[in-house]
Amino acid sequence: MDYALATLWHDRQRYLPGVLAVAFSAVLISLQCGLLLGLFSITSIPVDHTRADIWIGSPQVLSVDLGRPIPLRFVSRVAGIDHVEVTEQYMQMFGSWTKPGGGSDLCIIIGSNLDDGNLGSVDELTPELRRDLTEPFSIVVDEAELDRLGVTGIGDTAEINKQRVRIVGLVHGLKSLAGPYVFCNLNTAKALLRGLNPPDHTTYLLVKADSPQGANEVVRELRERYPDMSVFTSEEFSIRSRLHWLTKTKAGIALGYAALLGLLVGMVVTSQTLYAATVASAREYAILLALGIPRWRVSWTVLMQSFWVGMAGTVLAYPSVLLLARGADHLGAKVLLPTWLLAAAAVVTMTMAVFSGMLALRSVRQIEPVNLLR
Amino acid sequence: MQPELPSLKGVALAKGFGEGEIRTTALKDVSLELYRGQLALLMGPSGSGKSTLLAILSGLLAPDSGQVLTITDDGKYQDVWSMTPKQREKYRLNECGFIFQGYNLFPALTARQQLEIVLRWGNGATYREARKRSEEMLSLLGLGAKMHLKPAQLSGGEKQRVAIGRALIKNPRFCFADEPTSALDWHHGEQVIELLRAAAHERGATILVVSHDARILNYVDTSFHMEDGRLLENAEPSAKPTPVSAGMWRSA
Ligand SMILES: Nc1ncnc2c1ncn2[C@@H]1O[C@H](COP(=O)(O)OP(=O)(O)OP(=O)(O)O)[C@@H](O)[C@H]1O
Ligand SMILES: [Mg+2]
Repeated sequence: MDYALATLWHDRQRYLPGVLAVAFSAVLISLQCGLLLGLFSITSIPVDHTRADIWIGSPQVLSVDLGRPIPLRFVSRVAGIDHVEVTEQYMQMFGSWTKPGGGSDLCIIIGSNLDDGNLGSVDELTPELRRDLTEPFSIVVDEAELDRLGVTGIGDTAEINKQRVRIVGLVHGLKSLAGPYVFCNLNTAKALLRGLNPPDHTTYLLVKADSPQGANEVVRELRERYPDMSVFTSEEFSIRSRLHWLTKTKAGIALGYAALLGLLVGMVVTSQTLYAATVASAREYAILLALGIPRWRVSWTVLMQSFWVGMAGTVLAYPSVLLLARGADHLGAKVLLPTWLLAAAAVVTMTMAVFSGMLALRSVRQIEPVNLLR
Repeated sequence: MQPELPSLKGVALAKGFGEGEIRTTALKDVSLELYRGQLALLMGPSGSGKSTLLAILSGLLAPDSGQVLTITDDGKYQDVWSMTPKQREKYRLNECGFIFQGYNLFPALTARQQLEIVLRWGNGATYREARKRSEEMLSLLGLGAKMHLKPAQLSGGEKQRVAIGRALIKNPRFCFADEPTSALDWHHGEQVIELLRAAAHERGATILVVSHDARILNYVDTSFHMEDGRLLENAEPSAKPTPVSAGMWRSA
């Protein structure tokens, strides 16, 4: 067995603080990022839970919930282009919700085509719900938003922009950040948004292409020809929406600070642990130096130890991260942990561990074999 | 049967510590000669400069003046303290073994690994070769059955024997031991001295032992006495070719 590893195992109690510090850093970074990803994935729900390949909206639209009305005649711009199969209207705008018991709140009105095979209705709307929604001024909301909307359930009525609506169904998992999503059909949405959306306008045009490459070509062509509208593939628009809110809310900066702090704590503890362990073995190392073994061998051993401490910490961190993510889920906070995030967190913490080892190398420079002779 | 040329010579060595008022002179004009195949003993009261002399002779501590001359293969002498630090490190790697007070064994490693590490890190030996040589050495030291044990599972005498194995595993020309028996009872101390004497006689090594213990005098080929940083004159050895009973190192 490797000598560094043997030492680590033999003195595991001595190295435990370092291992725990690395694990702590890894958990902190992964969960912080995961929570943020989860939080901002909410902003792109309308893009992620629908089937359009291309989104066309007002110029320089920053996020899916910030679209301005565009003229319906833009449909003709799309119709003639190769690879386009279907084009469809999609409405999404903020509205003012008046609770039955008084008081009001923001809501996000989403009106889409509801036919089978449509592009714009979220996956959570079952065929039955879509059928029920054909009724004018009927709406569907998320069950978790009922409190916020001041209603109790199906059959309740309330007002949006001063017009009466009736809840005909409930969905799950579509809780939103800014204001509750209110799903309805296109005509209802247009009626509710009469003052905000001029006649013969829509918020978005959704396009289905014959293939992903086809979609890319359509996007490229539309962008070249028409600067007065913005065109995105659904992947682009999803990321754009998340990034907008991430940067706009400065949550990224908060995250950066927290992660940096976690790394700093981890680094100090880990390097102190390695430093103390090396000092404790100073006499043994000194013998090796006296025997003419070069100092870098000893330094290398300390670095190897830091590597293994990092490995142990990272390995320890993963089950904790998954467990804590589950716990957060139960509390209603979504934590997204894509593989790339876990891998990046591992790389960052491993780098930190090895860097701690480098900081601990000053203990090796202090070893002097002549001090053994007294 | 003494070889004509000394293998290691200290010439007019001097060393002091500190500055001004608090300056202590640890060595004053010390010269001595050591021969291959000899076990030499350095005695003297505490603070007389024994460890300082050992450190200078072994290339660990630079003298203020004087030379440490080591014999080369063609019978010439080379000053250890005019080598570059890198050369000196190489010289110690190739020629010097050390045994210090206390055992200084890595608590995490087995007896065999303590020896292996020297060959692997020092001489770049392969794992297989290091293992084989370490096992042979430990068997010679009577630790054949204990080589998989860690220091915590070994007695004091056994630990010191592992430390001796570590010092001799490279088969060095010189071996320096500072108080190698001070932590042991006389029975085990005697064993250690016997081992060192056998190593000198059978491997042709030059071994210098620092000790307080006068009983060791009966086992060594030559002895030096220090007082106050000086070597006493009457230090010439009883110069008796000491026959070794068993020849334990011959197989190595
Ligand atoms: N690094 C140092 N700094 C200052 N003084 C030192 C240092 N090393 C040794 N000395 C002094 O040099 C003198 C000789 O010390 P040395 O260690 O050689 O003695 P010694 O004969 O080995 O003693 P002991 O038998 O107690 O080990 C002592 O007076 C000691 O205080
Ligand atoms: Mg001493």
